[in-house]
Amino acid sequence: MISLVVAFPLLFAFFIVLLDTLRVKRHIIQVSFLLGAILPATVLFMGIPKGEIVGGWNRISGIEVGISELNLPFIVGELILFAFVALYSISYFDFRDKKTPKALALLLLLHAGLLGAFIAGDLFNFYIYMEIASVSAFALITFSGEPNSRRAAFKYLMLSLLASYFFVFAIGLIYMETGYLNLILISENAVPSKELNAAVGIAFASLLLKAGIFPLHSWLPDAHSSAPTPVSAVLSGAVVKAPAYGLILMFLALPVGGTLRTLAMGTAVVSIFFGITMALLQRDAKRLLAYHTVSQMGYVLLGIASLNFLGAAYYALAHSLFKGGLFLSVGALGRKTRELGKFGYRNVPIMALSVVMLSLAIGGVSPFIGSYAKGLISSGLDGAWKYVLYAGSVGTLISFTKLNYYLLRGTSEDIKAVWKFSSIFLAFITLGSGLYLGAVFDPKDIIYVVLAMVLFFLLKAADIFKKRAHVGFGEIGEEVNVLTAVFILAILASVLLQGA
Amino acid sequence: MKMSIVVRTTTKLVSPFLVTYAAYLMLYGHLSPGGGFQGGVILAVAVILLITSHGYKKVRKKFKFNWASLIESSAGAMLVLLGITGLAFGAFYANFLPTEGGIILPFNVIVGLEVGAAFTFVFYILLRWVESD
Repeated sequence: MISLVVAFPLLFAFFIVLLDTLRVKRHIIQVSFLLGAILPATVLFMGIPKGEIVGGWNRISGIEVGISELNLPFIVGELILFAFVALYSISYFDFRDKKTPKALALLLLLHAGLLGAFIAGDLFNFYIYMEIASVSAFALITFSGEPNSRRAAFKYLMLSLLASYFFVFAIGLIYMETGYLNLILISENAVPSKELNAAVGIAFASLLLKAGIFPLHSWLPDAHSSAPTPVSAVLSGAVVKAPAYGLILMFLALPVGGTLRTLAMGTAVVSIFFGITMALLQRDAKRLLAYHTVSQMGYVLLGIASLNFLGAAYYALAHSLFKGGLFLSVGALGRKTRELGKFGYRNVPIMALSVVMLSLAIGGVSPFIGSYAKGLISSGLDGAWKYVLYAGSVGTLISFTKLNYYLLRGTSEDIKAVWKFSSIFLAFITLGSGLYLGAVFDPKDIIYVVLAMVLFFLLKAADIFKKRAHVGFGEIGEEVNVLTAVFILAILASVLLQGA
Repeated sequence: MKMSIVVRTTTKLVSPFLVTYAAYLMLYGHLSPGGGFQGGVILAVAVILLITSHGYKKVRKKFKFNWASLIESSAGAMLVLLGITGLAFGAFYANFLPTEGGIILPFNVIVGLEVGAAFTFVFYILLRWVESD
């Protein structure tokens, strides 16, 4: 039954290509796109079986899929986000363009890939589905038609594929050592050895690259900001979560050393603050949001590295909802220009409300879902690590005060009703799910918001926002070479620290 | 892109045999070395050989671009539907055929069509850039 979650989007993706070749009316294509986006959710309502093996084979030779409390938040976040993205996309992509049905088919493939990765119970299928999602993402980025988008997609393609090859090599090593690909069987048969340690180190570094965490993040801001708006929302909201889920699977099944975990926690903290700092210096609204993805993925890694997988999973759910909503609403406002100060929500109060709500949610203000997820992550941390979360919250709030400050000063025209609906609905979902999960209003959070506002105006008075952070490399080939070298160093570091 | 008469005649002779061999691999792959993917690749090679020797424009008249797309997408949809049919018999991709090899035979044939059409499709698209005759 669980396999149907993947089968429906895949089926409708093929149908859309078929219907496009037969040149049917565009309404039929739109309906089949929506069906492919929403039908997987119905599987969850039919009563969730714990796990199953496709085709009814035994565990050793079959493909195991399952839904547990660890991957349910990922799946729910993806399904909710994708439902709104689907509504948004059918009015975003223009059907006068002949390529539109292809974009819709690729979006469904992305959907199928992500869901398949989230339900996977063995490493190889996880890899395959993550690749389906990544390959569709490379192609989708170029659909925006921006001059920069092809370059961004190429950079993403080179780095992401390189990481994938290293990951599949690590899977090969794990298979060689344990004899299985199924995660339950791996964890039963894993005997610590040098080869296994090397595999863990390589897989860890390659998943970090695909998740866009600090020293390996450099493809992310370009790719996420130059993609079409609905695609940006899925990329930031869900695509970077698949490797994060892979990290959870790896930490669950394999012996990960204490040194590597400490390194991971350090990387996570650096990633949180690096993302915030870079976001503060951006003038492009979507780049600002993209840098926040680097920062927010740091929280997810912090949860994983402190072995608090449930916290990481709920943070991933929260991040899918608010970051997806932010990309959808800011993208709708800034269709003509994305430069801060030149557009805004002054004349559209409904968008203003949704952006403000989503900003509070990402800053971890109660009773939004962000505060619940942050609470879960902080419950697994001890001592000084907790202060990182408080500082991170304030930093995020400063950056979003900046976004709202500039949005308040500009106006935007012709925002379609369905776009307003998607943004405001996602905003209310972040509030509703926070309340549902049991977040209560905490007056202390007002202090954070006020503190963030004060700090924002101090920084503004110090003319920090006039500065521009731009790391230029010139030729794309040169840039990819440098980033590859950084990636190889990261692999070496994690392999050595894991003790191979 | 039109090659000499020797090449054109040879490819014309070889192509039907390649198609036969592809069909053999697809239909007998569940019991012998071979299978859908290999059969599909050889199926595509039969068309690609003709394209390289006779030119894109001439081959396109017989093997239409849209057909490749049509076969590719319908084979993909059939593949998923085959899995969903299995649900009626207990599990996704359950083996519901009592024959030797069960659903592997239809599976291989569909995969062969999918792969063959997809490779031809990719080759057509790449050639649109190279050749404009």
